[in-house]
Amino acid sequence: MPRWITQLRLILRSMFRKNQVDQELDEELQYHLDREIDEGLNRGLTPEAARYAALRAMGALAMSKEECRDMSYLTLFDDLSRDFQYATRSLRRNPGFATLAVLIMALGIGANTAVFSVVDAVLLKPLSYHDADRIVALSTLWTKTGADQPSVSVPDYHDWHDQNTSFEAMAYFQAGDTAVIAGPTAEFAGDATVTNEFFNVFGVQPVVGRGFSEEESKSGSGAAAMISYSFWQSHYGGEMSALGKTLQLGGRALTIVGVLPPGFSFPAKTDIWFPANTIFHESTIRAAHNVQVVGKLKPGVALEHAQSEMTAIGDRLEQQYPPSNGSKNIKLRGLRDNMVKDARLMLYLLLGAVGLVLLVACGNVANLLLAKASTRGREIALRTALGAGRVRIVRQLFTESMLLALVAGLTGVVFALAGSRALVLLAPANVPRLENTGVDGPVLGFAFGASVLACLIFGLVPAIRTTRVDLNTTVKQGAAQNAGTSRSRLRQALVAAEIALSVVLLAGAGLLVRSFAALHDVALGLKPEHVLLMETSVTARMTAQQAMPVYKRLIQEISSTPGVIAAGATRTPPGAVRSNGPYWVDQAPTPQQINVNRPQAIFSFAGPGIFAALGVPVHSGREFDAADNLDAPPRAIVNQALAKRAFPGQDPLGHTIAVATDSLKPMTIVGVVGDVRQLGPASEPAPEVYMPYEQHPTLSTFLTIVARTTADPQLMAGALRQKAREIAPDVPVKITTFEDRLSQNVAAARFRTLLLAIFAAFAVALAMAGVYGIVSFTVNQRTPEIGLRMALGAGSRDVLKMVLLQGVRLAIIGLAVGLTGAFAASRLLSTMLFSVKPTDPLTYGAVTGLMALVTLAASYVPAHRAARVDPVVALRHG
Amino acid sequence: MSKPTDLVQGTLDLLILKIVALEPIHGWAIAQRIKQMSSDVLQVGQSALYPALHKLEQQGWIEAEWKVSETNRRAKYYSLTRSGRKALNHEAANWERLSTAISTIVRST
Repeated sequence: MPRWITQLRLILRSMFRKNQVDQELDEELQYHLDREIDEGLNRGLTPEAARYAALRAMGALAMSKEECRDMSYLTLFDDLSRDFQYATRSLRRNPGFATLAVLIMALGIGANTAVFSVVDAVLLKPLSYHDADRIVALSTLWTKTGADQPSVSVPDYHDWHDQNTSFEAMAYFQAGDTAVIAGPTAEFAGDATVTNEFFNVFGVQPVVGRGFSEEESKSGSGAAAMISYSFWQSHYGGEMSALGKTLQLGGRALTIVGVLPPGFSFPAKTDIWFPANTIFHESTIRAAHNVQVVGKLKPGVALEHAQSEMTAIGDRLEQQYPPSNGSKNIKLRGLRDNMVKDARLMLYLLLGAVGLVLLVACGNVANLLLAKASTRGREIALRTALGAGRVRIVRQLFTESMLLALVAGLTGVVFALAGSRALVLLAPANVPRLENTGVDGPVLGFAFGASVLACLIFGLVPAIRTTRVDLNTTVKQGAAQNAGTSRSRLRQALVAAEIALSVVLLAGAGLLVRSFAALHDVALGLKPEHVLLMETSVTARMTAQQAMPVYKRLIQEISSTPGVIAAGATRTPPGAVRSNGPYWVDQAPTPQQINVNRPQAIFSFAGPGIFAALGVPVHSGREFDAADNLDAPPRAIVNQALAKRAFPGQDPLGHTIAVATDSLKPMTIVGVVGDVRQLGPASEPAPEVYMPYEQHPTLSTFLTIVARTTADPQLMAGALRQKAREIAPDVPVKITTFEDRLSQNVAAARFRTLLLAIFAAFAVALAMAGVYGIVSFTVNQRTPEIGLRMALGAGSRDVLKMVLLQGVRLAIIGLAVGLTGAFAASRLLSTMLFSVKPTDPLTYGAVTGLMALVTLAASYVPAHRAARVDPVVALRHG
Repeated sequence: MSKPTDLVQGTLDLLILKIVALEPIHGWAIAQRIKQMSSDVLQVGQSALYPALHKLEQQGWIEAEWKVSETNRRAKYYSLTRSGRKALNHEAANWERLSTAISTIVRST
């Protein structure tokens, strides 16, 4: 048995089998004593003399026993349990204090635990795949800017795959949300096209059926699919007969060949997987980045090693294909880190902020304990006089704090259960792995750790401070007045620290609130009110070309529905753009010119009426109309940003523009429209090219119909869904309002702003309670003095001013420290700020003003009380 | 040094480990054995013996078992553990070094 286990066993035995251990000790010592007596008798002593000799030889039996008890920790556990009982009694005697302290700490610990439960679920828990730590995401790295993007070009992927030696498997995938018919109705389902090593990367094998055969993975062949376990259960009742059945997708009937194990749904929430380059042909253009790549490192290969190998491959490709691969390389990241990289900063920021709240709560409880200690000076002095050592008393007081902290921790866990659920509801939906959030082992461990840490912070200082009393005077006076000044200085420092921490939080919250307001006020370039979005997908039974008439009819019918003012369609409504690339003015590009380093534009595919429906102004030329179809010459509309950039000082109408999409043909510009913030309110409008969706049917596999309504668009949702079902039963629809989408777009900003504001408010409230407490305390202590001053002629105004000044002094110190801290800390926020600088003077000014105001308010109540002191009463009782 | 039979701090541990290493043995017998083996030069104060035994047990160097003794009574027998054996070798080597060093100095005059 390892030694530590033996030791632990003995300690536990002392802890829980105390009586038995004690008995055995007695028996052992008794045995020794008896043998000594026998020995004495053998030497011819009288029994009495033998016993006496034995006892003497034994030394003091009791001493020896005590020492043995010390050695086996029995004494320690005795003391602890006595301390514990005493602490319980002491807290029960002050139920008000105990409840308040527990509640404050429980809120602090609960909030921290709740935030940690999210951090743990999203950032810390390993992925639930086989050897998940060897799974790596490979992204495209732009060496000029240092930025990386998840999408990779297919030819690049093939070179990465074939040239590396670090990976045992590498695959690309392309995820979508497309129309599927697997049951009686059409629906949207998550699907992914994957290359054949995809399942090896994750180490999954079908639980039922088989994987894709070589034949099914060959280019152009296919029509095989694997489905998720949950899809198997919901659509086929988990029956074996699902194998061999077909489901409709992308105009093909796919045969189900296997079912993946429960819980496997990578990427995102995929239900259907099919082999790459079968139903959809893979791109051969190196400049077109549209797949994502994952790989599994060989055992023992470090990420750094793989990274340097892939960088070398990237360098080679750059030399080989300068136009498409100039300043392009490869970035490796652990899959988990890659999934959560956008959420990481925000979550750590929140954890830091809520940690500050805990510190403020600790300061508050420390203050309460100090206040309580001032009434306990006599008790402690008495105990010291009776011989209790200082360590013993510190331990006693500390046990009390520990008990408080543990009760608070338990209560906090209860709060955290609710808090963590609330956080999951509030959090932006695009935070990955959020669904794993729960209060489990690690989270409980965190709560315990936070409690112990909190106890160390709020318990130790008062405990040590309290024992530093002058025995003589304290016992005599029966009050702790002489310890009052130094203790009161400590309490003031604590309150000032609380103010400082609150200022840091308040400044952070202020900056975020200002950015959020700015996000709201930003001109999107369209009118988002009363706009309904209806996402549709090419019907599962049809190809994109076949679907065009269905779309056309749908748009037509919807625009003629009563209550709809204007209707149009676009492949990607604002906030959902996915396509961008270089453009060429008045010429078709030569192959050398197809270069990733050219100026970029966003590509949108839209139908007639889209600008009217979205409320985007048409500055010159016209909207698309029904005549912009496959039979007409290629046409395009550009936005003002592109016009300004590509046609400075000219009218773009009549010029041509070519872009790298399905064709490189120059398109005639027929209109110029206003700029739209396509990537959300936080990003500047980019140059953009709109193309009629009918002229690019292969790219228009999905379409969002945009309807501007007279009334609340939500009310129209039912009618429009009904209409869609009548016209095109095979077309699944998803209906949202534009404003809902917009609010999702700023969901992350709203989430962090809201939470930081709550934390700041909580911290300020606690700090103010602290200010109130300390000012009240001094007023009480100084009542005789105030009485004296008033008797000597000071007016109540003077007294009011004197007391308020104490609060002001605290505020000034707290603000000075807090603003300095906030200045330093706000830099962490800079990536989350929008149109506000981390040093925004308005925010800091507002924080200063607010803090000064609430501090004054908190000190006003006790100050007012002081001003009404009756000198006669005060002097008599002083 | 006032009392020549006083044991240097830590030496008692070494003696106990050494004696316990021979065979499982109870406290009283350990004291006796130390006395006999040192020809009555070393007498372990019993008030030192038991705390030391309990400390060594807590450290995991010796382990205890209740057995019937030669006088037909229950007694707590101690025996050496594997890590105790290591500790004994270590301590013994230390002692060897220390005593040689001291002797060298003492004799050098």
